[in-house]
Amino acid sequence: MSALLNVIQAKRMVDQLRVEAGMERFKISLAAAELVQYCQEHRRSDPLLTGITASSNPFKDKKTCILL
Amino acid sequence: MRGVTSARQQHQLAEAGEPWWRQRESERKRPNTRTSSTIPSPLCASSLKMACQALQSGESLATLKNESDSLKKKLEEERAKLHDVELNQVAEKVELVSALSIRTRRVLKGHGNKVLCMDWCKDKRRLVSSSQDGKVIVWDGYTLNKEHAVTMPCTWVMACAYAPSGCAVACGGLDNKCSVYPLSLDKNENLAAKKKSVAMHTNYLSGCSFTNSDMQLLTSSGDGTCALWDVESGQLLQSFHGHTADVLSLNLAPSETGNTFVSGGCDKKANVWDMRSGQNVQSFETHDSDINCVKYYPTGDAFASASDDGTCRLYDLRADREVAVYQKDSIIFGASSVDFSLSGRLLFAGYNDYTINVWDVLKGNRISVLFGHENRVSCVKVSPDGTSFASASWDTSLRIWA
Repeated sequence: MSALLNVIQAKRMVDQLRVEAGMERFKISLAAAELVQYCQEHRRSDPLLTGITASSNPFKDKKTCILL
Repeated sequence: MRGVTSARQQHQLAEAGEPWWRQRESERKRPNTRTSSTIPSPLCASSLKMACQALQSGESLATLKNESDSLKKKLEEERAKLHDVELNQVAEKVELVSALSIRTRRVLKGHGNKVLCMDWCKDKRRLVSSSQDGKVIVWDGYTLNKEHAVTMPCTWVMACAYAPSGCAVACGGLDNKCSVYPLSLDKNENLAAKKKSVAMHTNYLSGCSFTNSDMQLLTSSGDGTCALWDVESGQLLQSFHGHTADVLSLNLAPSETGNTFVSGGCDKKANVWDMRSGQNVQSFETHDSDINCVKYYPTGDAFASASDDGTCRLYDLRADREVAVYQKDSIIFGASSVDFSLSGRLLFAGYNDYTINVWDVLKGNRISVLFGHENRVSCVKVSPDGTSFASASWDTSLRIWA
């Protein structure tokens, strides 16, 4: 029984590895370039990165008015 | 007779360590409505057939082991060939991130014990959080109002998630289940009465997430599996096997990139899965300890992980390998949670040393350290519009930073 289980597990692993081995991969230079490009394109619309004014961020406290 | 399992088969299933809910499946007296390929039990008919065919065609345990060793070696070589440059080298020309003025803007107090998990509502102001004491609270982040509170019948509610519609929350933990609570506008209504048990695992629930609708729920569990459930019927739609230890976290790919999700667990592996077929399409194992959290990069082409080994790592799915490690010698405590800012440039990571570190994803350096929590940070999540991020901690509070 356990021998059969071992064979099943080994066959599963081989099948899994065959699937992974058949995958098309890209060089890091290409993949990384795309990551950098996305960051650059969207940097202006990232409030945590650029910081937005207190008035447009509901979590930042608005400056209080002082009545003189 | 189809659909009926003999006593011997039931015993075999139990021996093989099958979760009880899968045993129940095969015990049904009526025909199974799902195809056998969706639930790959080691001793199901197709596996036995496959094993017999393998043995008949001359494949012995030894030849299979040889083939798996050579495939592993080939994979390593293939991956190494693509390692022509480092991410931070490609990002050399990118300007540095200017000083961030992020600090605590809200402190949400109300939980009586460690807060283990939180999630944002799509309306960008509400949050749900769950705690060790069994309480699940829905907050209005702007006003600090507690809008709903539910007491779960178990402690250690390790996972909670907001439904995309904002009309329900899912949560679970030591009860091994994931339950969905519809949120009522009537404050007096007892939420617990409308509770719907959806997912059933054989060990604790570590993570849950709605897919892009309120109708399906994806869960990860200490039983080593992930599963996709239909919320209405509670039916198991797909199960995901491959981890060899507790699965601690899962994250769905951004909707544009299709039906995949990533999971991370105590076997130090991060696996990417095809939701429709249940197939494990990619696997990464470079961490030295448990992976506590996995989170996709905004494009879905990469994901980050946080681990007990004190590092966070970035894995690119197209290059099929790790492309960055976010670490410092001074960081000796485990990282529990990560999330990306909207553009993917910043990585917020919560640690067991009570701090939150902000990393430059592209250049690999740490931009700042955020102090405030008085105990471990268990969960960090950026709000849907990217204007803030929330952190949950063992110090019983949640903080919103902006």
